[in-house]
This record gives sequence, structure tokens and C-alpha cells, in this order.
Amino acid sequence: MDTFAVRTEGLTKIYKDFWRRKSVSALTNLNVTIERGEIFGLLGPNGSGKTTTVKLLLGLLFPTSGKASVLGRPASDLMVKSKIGFLPEESYLYKFLNAEEILDFYARLFHIPREERRRRIDKLIGDVGLQPHRKRPLSQYSKGMQRRIGLAQAIINDPELVILDEPTSGLDPMGSCEIKELILRFKEQGKTVLLSSHLLADVQTICDRIAILNKGVLQVMGNVRDLLSKRDVIEFLVKSLPEDAIREVESFIKRNDGEVLSVKHPVSTLEELFVKVIQDSK
Amino acid sequence: MILTIAKHTFREAIRKKIVHLLIGLGIIIMAISPYIPTTDEPDAKVKMIFVVFFQVVALLCIIGIILLSASSLPNEIEDKTIYGLLSKPVSRLKIVVGKIAGFSALSALMVVVLGLINAAVIHRAALRLPQDYSGIVKARSEFWASQLSFQGDLHHSRQGIQWIEGGSTGVAVWHFSGLGNKGNGRLPFEAELALKIENSRGLDEAVPLTVRVENPATGLCKEQIVSALEDVPLTVRIDPQILQKSDAVNVSVFPIDKAHYVGATQGNVKLYLVQERFAFNYAKALAITFLKFVLIVAIGVMGSTYLSAPVNIAATFVVFLCGHVLDFAKDFSLLIQHSHAHEEVIPGDVERPHAFLVVLDYLVRKPLEWLSAILPDFKKFDSLEFLLKGIDIPWETVGFLFGYTALYAGVCLAISSLLFKKREFF
Repeated sequence: MDTFAVRTEGLTKIYKDFWRRKSVSALTNLNVTIERGEIFGLLGPNGSGKTTTVKLLLGLLFPTSGKASVLGRPASDLMVKSKIGFLPEESYLYKFLNAEEILDFYARLFHIPREERRRRIDKLIGDVGLQPHRKRPLSQYSKGMQRRIGLAQAIINDPELVILDEPTSGLDPMGSCEIKELILRFKEQGKTVLLSSHLLADVQTICDRIAILNKGVLQVMGNVRDLLSKRDVIEFLVKSLPEDAIREVESFIKRNDGEVLSVKHPVSTLEELFVKVIQDSK
Repeated sequence: MILTIAKHTFREAIRKKIVHLLIGLGIIIMAISPYIPTTDEPDAKVKMIFVVFFQVVALLCIIGIILLSASSLPNEIEDKTIYGLLSKPVSRLKIVVGKIAGFSALSALMVVVLGLINAAVIHRAALRLPQDYSGIVKARSEFWASQLSFQGDLHHSRQGIQWIEGGSTGVAVWHFSGLGNKGNGRLPFEAELALKIENSRGLDEAVPLTVRVENPATGLCKEQIVSALEDVPLTVRIDPQILQKSDAVNVSVFPIDKAHYVGATQGNVKLYLVQERFAFNYAKALAITFLKFVLIVAIGVMGSTYLSAPVNIAATFVVFLCGHVLDFAKDFSLLIQHSHAHEEVIPGDVERPHAFLVVLDYLVRKPLEWLSAILPDFKKFDSLEFLLKGIDIPWETVGFLFGYTALYAGVCLAISSLLFKKREFF
């Protein structure tokens, strides 16, 4: 069994115009490996080639050159799609269906038996918090609700690889937080997650490794902690230290040729504050 | 998998307002069809109900089916719901087949629901039909005369019609054979006489005729006197006893009085085996209409794998319309060919072919020839002609149309598969 969940070798995509002339080079010579069980972040500004990479992995686009394999098989292989869950950038859903019907439709495409289908649908609708709205047509759903049902359909088949394109887009901070918790649960369950996003804070908190693309070219790839750590700076987080002790630590550092850059109380993120306030108010 | 996509396609279509609108409109049109003014013929109203259903209501439904089937895939691509579908383990071919199956199921539903309502309207109108005109709500097998012969003197012959005069001077005899054992003394036969009548005393006066039906094997014979009017077909029932022990019968006709004339051709008299199987025949007509729908669905879905919704809808309509005027296209093509043939006998240096005809040749004739060779001929699916004459639709016709539809749908599917397989979704 291939230890890599995703592997691309020299993956290149050039968009051509109607006359088959080269129009845009969307992805150039991408070499990326994603190991099984990790959360991998694909970062980059708009038009950097993130979505093109995802579409190539799903067989929605065909590479101009190079190859992509998913779970040990070519990306275009139909068999491999039964082990993939995909949440597109926007929740492109059939608006004439309700939550139950859409999950049932997608579950049928995976040949999931009736009883198992019902069990999974009930569980997923509960997990994404749409139990009271399960019979409402999706056309009446808010963007956040559509995102949640989109996520539910992406995991209806209990996939080995979950590809999430901007999963928190359109969600409020609470929803966003829930999604991030869900992604971390996927990791606990041994699933591989490919997260394409330009929300850096989201990626930083949950991804093991990242790759940054710009103009279709891989700029950097590696472990998040390694890439972000400042080797020449040391940070202590200490609880309840008296003023005298602080001054003593500062002088100790200076005596040992160190330089104190700042001494301050750390601040939490706005997201952490928001979640706390909302949770306390319940 | 195909079934899942077909059910999904069907469910999506059935929830669209256009389908409700078309079915509602179809029902309203059928409800008013018995009240549309017609001629005084007793069966004219029933004929009108048939025409309204098979021409107007069916056309409305086909418009709806074209709008839905030709726009389904392009809408999925535009709304990007196709991403969700293609990221699942579903082959593109199965998506296309599922779409065709879904819209075919919708077509079946429309044809069956509207067809049943129309059957009820026909039944109500048929209850008021006089016995002589009830042939329209029967399923009759048609037999053509194998031979026409004359006994006695022919009065004259004009424009392929042979005339006999009354007063026992001449008799026209139509010979029918190959009736099989269908008569066998049980099932009734009837003869339909569409004779040319001339009367020296005026066209409007009825001419008394003697019609004799004879079994050539047993010699059994029955004679009856009928009154014939110009351009009014006569139906003469044949005693089933006469047809026993034989698969042949002769029908002889002659005017009783002198100065009355009957013009005869081989096709003037036809024999019909009358079977009370109208419901079955009507079901066959509905099945043929359904096959027509399936064919247009296959064409609509094929185009939708490559074209945008508006272009594909327009293209499917063009194919549908051209499919109804192929005969005209063929005739027109032959006409141009014919005019060229005449030009060839004129030496080139004396008179060159007219530039217009040369242009017409390349711009019209050749495309028309290609079109008529490629496009499906929707006129073949015309079951209305059978129903209007009360003729049983032969199984051969149903089988041929089934094969024709399967062949065209198969070709459409192969092209769809090729186009859709290579399509990228940006």
C-alpha cells in the first residue's frame, strides 16, 4: 500500500483558448506528497493554483503534463473516488432537495445499503446541527447552513481522504470553530485531510504540513511548526510572576548576553474571545 | 447508479413549474377539444380529439421535454453541482445514461397521464357515435385487393380510372386473398368502398349500387343494395359465414340503373378485419409517441454534453423541426438535381448553368442531402394516421420504430460519451 495519500509528480496544467493556444499556466511542475493521516494545508492567494490542484486530483481537469495519484491510484480512477470526500469552494447543492434527500442521493452513489444510509444521514444531520431543518428545501438555507450540509455530504461515504476547499467560508466564528474541531476529529479517526484555504489563521491552528503556491508554482512546503518557528528567539509563557521576579529574570538574561525583546501579557485572538462570549451567554 | 441518477433527474424535472404548467395546459386543451367546431361528419369530433392530442398536446410536451433535457447538464455545469456528482464514483457515461433514462421516465409519465385522460375524453365522445361511424374507435387490419377485374363491358377509361355503367352492362370485381384464418366465421370483416360516382341526373343524387361478396372456394355469396354518393365512402359489413373455409373473397360492385357510372381503381375497395381492440391500438400509438420523446431526449442530452443551454435548446428544436420536413428536403433536393439534369443536355458554350443554381447546389442541395441522411425522420412516428382511419398499428411498425429509436439513441449515446469524457470543468 502506498504510504502517501496524495502524490503529484511534475503536475502541470496549462489552460488553452478556443484555438488550442496556450492561454494561462495555472500550475507548473507541482511535486507534492501528502502522507496518510495528516492534515495538509494548501495555501496561496487567489489564482495561485489551489483549486486547479484540487480539480486535477478529483479528475475534473486533466493534467497537461505530469501525474497525480490519490490513495495509490491514478487520480482519474473511479475506484479511488469511493474513498474521497470533497467539499467544493461554494456549496454547490441541488436546491430543490432537502437535507435528507441530498444526503440520500449522494449516499446512493456510493452504494451504501439502505439501513446504513439512514443511520449515517441521521448522524450527520445531527453532527452538523441541522436536525430541526432536515425537511426544509436547501433553497431556504442560509449560506452557513448550506456549508454544513455540504460538509455532511463530503463525509457521507466515511472517506479516507477529505478534500476541503475553503471549508469555513461563509461560516460565523462559532461554525468555523466547529468545523475546525471536526477536521481535527477526522485526523483522530485516521483520515487524511487536504485543506485548501487562504485563511492563514485556520490553517496554522489545525494543519500538520503546508504548501504555499503562488502563480501556479510551489514556493514552500513543510511542517507548520518548523516553517513558523523563530530559532533565534525564545518565548516563556509564565503564569502569575511578581514584578520583582520579572526584573530579576530580565537582568539574568542580560548577564548571559541575551536581549529581552518584549515583556508583556499575551493577548488571545478575537475568535477565542468571540467563542467564549457566545458560549458564556448560553 | 444509473437508476439513482435517473430518479434524481426525474425528481428534479417533476418539481419544475414548467412540467406542471404543461400538464395543466394539456389537460385544459383536451377538455375543450370536444367543443372545437368541426364538420358535420358524426366522427369528426372524435377525429378532432385525436388530432388535438397527438399534434397539439404532444407538441407541447415535446417542447417541455426539449427545454428540460437540453438544459439539464449545462445547468449542472453552470451551477457547478456537477462537481459534487463527478467527485463521486460515477462514470460520465452513467451520468449521461441516467439523464436520458430520467427524462424518458418523465416522458412516459406525461404520455401515460395525458394519454389516459385523452382516452376518457375519446370514450365519452365515442358513446355518441352512430354504429356506421364507430370504425374510428376500432382497430382494423387493412387488406388491399390483390387484383381488380371486370365482367361485361367497360364503359370507358379516363386518367387511370375504369368506368362501368349500370343496367347490368359491367361489373367491377375486387379479389382479396391472404386473409388467413382470421375470418374463420368469427371475426367480422367489413369492406370500405371509396368509389367514383357519376350520375347523369346530378352529382348530389344517391346512386343505388349492388355489392356482392362471394367466397370463391365455397361459392357462398351475399348481395346487398347500397346508396352511394360522390366522395362519401361506404362501409359494407360482411357476413362472417361467407368467409368460412377460405382465405379469399371477391367483392363485386355495379350500379343498378343505366346512366349511373362507377369509376374503379384497385385501391378503391379495401377490406378490414374488425377487432374490438381499440384500447390496445391506442396504447400502441402512445408507445410510438413515447419513442419519439425518447429520441428527442437522447438528442437533447447529447447536445448538452458540449453546448450551452440556450444553444442546445435551439439546436434540438432545429433537429426536431428538420426531422418533420425531411420529406420536403428530399423532394427539394431531387428537384434541384432534376433541373441540373436538364441543363446537361445544353452545350456549355451555348448556355452556362445559371449561377443561382450552382450556388443553390452547393448551399442547399448538398446540405439537404446530408441532413436527410443524418437526421432522424420524426414523420415515421406519426401514429395519428392509423387512429384516424381506425386501422390497427402493425406490430412490424412498432418494432421498426423501437429499433429505429434504439439505433439513434445508441449513436447519440456514443457521441455523448465521447464528448463528455473529454470535457473539463473549470
